[in-house]
Amino acid sequence: MATRKPETGWHGENSDVNHLRGRAFEATCLALTAFGLVSVMLLLLFVANDAFRPLSADVGWLATYAVTVVVPLAALAVYYYRLDEPAGEVAYVASGLPVVGLLLTGGFAVLFTELLSVLEWFALLISLVAAAGLIVAHGRLRPKAALERLVVVLLAPVVTVFGLPPTRFNWLVTDAAAALGLDFGLYYRVISLREAIMLLPFVPTDWVMLLLTLVLPAAGAAGWFVEQRRESRRDGLAVVGLTTVAAVLGVVAGPLLGIGADVWLLVVTFAVLPLGVYVEGVLRRGEGVRGLAFPVVAVLGVVAGSLITGALGFAGPDPWLDWGFLTSATSRTAADAGIYPSMVGSVMMIIVIVLTAFPVGVGAAIYLEEYAPSQGLMGKFVTLIEINIGNLAGVPSVVYGLLGLALFIRVLQWPQGSIIVAGLAVGLLILPIVIISAQEAIRSVPDSFRQASYGMGATRWQTIRQVVLPEALPGILTGTILALGRAIGETAPLLMIGAAASVRLAPNSFFDVGSMMPRQIFSWSSELEPAFRHGVLAAGVITLLAVLLVMNATAIVIRNRYQRTG
Amino acid sequence: MTDSPSSGLSRRRFLTSSGTIGALALAGCTQNTSRDGDGGSADSGSDGLSGQVIIKGSSTVFPISDAMAEAFMDEHGSVNVTVDSTGSGGGFENWFCPGDSDINGASRPITDAEVEQCSSNDVEPVEFEIAGDALTVAVNNDADWVDCLTFEELRQIWSDEAGVTNWSDVRDEWPDMEIERYGPASTSGTFDYFNGNVVGEDTEHTTEYQPTEEDETIVQGIRDNEGGMGYFGFAYYNSNSEAVKAVEVKAENDDECTPPSLANAKDGSYPLARPLFLYVAESALQTEAVSEFIRFYLEQAETDVVQDIGYVPSSAEQRDENLEKLDEIAG
Repeated sequence: MATRKPETGWHGENSDVNHLRGRAFEATCLALTAFGLVSVMLLLLFVANDAFRPLSADVGWLATYAVTVVVPLAALAVYYYRLDEPAGEVAYVASGLPVVGLLLTGGFAVLFTELLSVLEWFALLISLVAAAGLIVAHGRLRPKAALERLVVVLLAPVVTVFGLPPTRFNWLVTDAAAALGLDFGLYYRVISLREAIMLLPFVPTDWVMLLLTLVLPAAGAAGWFVEQRRESRRDGLAVVGLTTVAAVLGVVAGPLLGIGADVWLLVVTFAVLPLGVYVEGVLRRGEGVRGLAFPVVAVLGVVAGSLITGALGFAGPDPWLDWGFLTSATSRTAADAGIYPSMVGSVMMIIVIVLTAFPVGVGAAIYLEEYAPSQGLMGKFVTLIEINIGNLAGVPSVVYGLLGLALFIRVLQWPQGSIIVAGLAVGLLILPIVIISAQEAIRSVPDSFRQASYGMGATRWQTIRQVVLPEALPGILTGTILALGRAIGETAPLLMIGAAASVRLAPNSFFDVGSMMPRQIFSWSSELEPAFRHGVLAAGVITLLAVLLVMNATAIVIRNRYQRTG
Repeated sequence: MTDSPSSGLSRRRFLTSSGTIGALALAGCTQNTSRDGDGGSADSGSDGLSGQVIIKGSSTVFPISDAMAEAFMDEHGSVNVTVDSTGSGGGFENWFCPGDSDINGASRPITDAEVEQCSSNDVEPVEFEIAGDALTVAVNNDADWVDCLTFEELRQIWSDEAGVTNWSDVRDEWPDMEIERYGPASTSGTFDYFNGNVVGEDTEHTTEYQPTEEDETIVQGIRDNEGGMGYFGFAYYNSNSEAVKAVEVKAENDDECTPPSLANAKDGSYPLARPLFLYVAESALQTEAVSEFIRFYLEQAETDVVQDIGYVPSSAEQRDENLEKLDEIAG
């Protein structure tokens, strides 16, 4: 082969190959990339400077933190990058995990202060567990009755959570039945388990309920995970025990440090426990252990920095984005303005979107990929639908806002500017994106998996449930989280459905009027005082960006994990 | 997650955890459910008054309403007062008359067509005059040629009839530079007022301008263009007086040129002084939250709060008249 001469001439034969065009093209591409990246970077730096105002600090303050935090972390980062790449990844996750955990903690803390009391949460969870118990018991008692089980699966949660329908409906049914000569005797409404728990004269205190419903299940899961990994039952139990002890100790000791019991339990569940399990994994594998130094150095640096600046009396910067900004409502005075109610609004809007767009989108994707006919006339029709879903993904967001206005406010008469309307309108907006990304994920499951499953005698339903969905789930989640990132930043639909410019109370229910972060940022942009348009606006933008970055980072981590194992 | 294959484990775990829980429960970790179970979100300062007040309407009135909402909510923490700026006309047409908002701010009186639209939805608007404004015409800081404009000149600039495109078309000695016009959108009450009182009912307001619902954008446009010109509420000039230059105005050629200021608006010497209104749905006034808020609003409208924002506060007689009207309707 090596001796055979090419029959047609190739460019290397005569030495007058011109590299100029290729080089010019490469240089142009590089210039375009650099231009895009640099301009976005500059913009972000500009906004961050407005939000944090680092230059308002003393020089000594900046120098101190540069020495205690920036220099050691930069040195570590260079070390990881050059010499110890696995440690770099460990450092990334070990620093990111607590941040995500604390954000989740914040989310749940908001949930418990604004949306439902701990008791309501407890009752809801117990009812759901009871429903699951009913379903499992039915499966044990009558393993063959598939249709009956479907009814149980659908009805059990409804009965335990909502009880029987309102009395008036029961009367209607009973009267109708009586006219036919039947006697149901449904004159009284049976309350649900959830409502029964709510009516108990004495219930455990809030922290006990949180311990039972959040900490122990999470600890149990972590313990089971560790037990599987280390193949040691004792280690698994140790995780559960340690977590419980840490939780209870914090509850007892917390008041001394000024940490509320509820907050501490949330921190344990969402930050301490995942971090602990991750650190355990790193230590066990013995790979990249040095990466664990990164968060430790960061925390020590901050502590040292604050001690030194406190002792020497250096004044820190006076940022717009501070704790007060995150915890107070908007105001006419720029210094008092905050983003809290709109942050709660955004979180609740995301909950609505997750509960609606995610199941609908994934359901549609499963149908289109796994069940929908691909041949014949119906196949053409399905193709048409798929093309239209693709087009819907490109429809301007303001149109979805109009749709929301017309459908939910004018037709259904739901309150304008309410969380549920905002969530559904934006949910419709990202629905096509969710469908398409879920379809991609399902399509990427190799057909051989399905064939193998069928070959072992599995039904289509069993194949989808046991083979396709578990394989596709990380991809589906990645796509959905990215779509949620888009949803949280959408402004136009919120304007169309009448989300107000200034809302000072966080919504307490999904039918409350609320504001969302992008809407609030937009209204600051038209304030009279320049301090709003520069400082407060920038702080709002950085907050929104931080939430977005965390969501995207989560998506990337899930995808990486998926690519490695899959 | 307790579905572990080895049953001994789950039993042991169950025993451990239930033992812990039992001990804790014995230690008296229960609470009485008769505590208020609303999640504890209602913060301090609530005196039992709760509910919701929805304000839409004029961007000119928005700063006043927003300040009132903030002050009111400091006293009544459970009343959710939300304020939005949609333009006077936009607020009437899209929110107030369909019955979706309780209060509409307006920088002009309600029109007959709007009253009709409201009454077809059983919404009866109640009018309160709450403040005064000096509509301000502004040009770029470098436009040193123009200090005073007559209504006639404004009419030429802001209607298409005279065919004015450049400053030199208005007065010959002015530079041959294009007039970049910035103004409120047609949903705005400021637009309606200017159209009705300066351009004239029979003349069309020009469409050759940058319309916007955000008065801030008008200021920016004028600031960045030497030939720029626009008009907006005095409050926006008040907080941007460095960025743009306000033009003195006279209604007739024989009149004196008067600069926009709160004092001149108050004594009536400024020809573009105009009243600002609040329209409240009569049915909404029957709810305690709305009527208490309006009472607070009308009382505060006479104080310096309004002046600090950049508007003329209502007079004491005006306030008393308003309160009397409120008592009559709200009962």
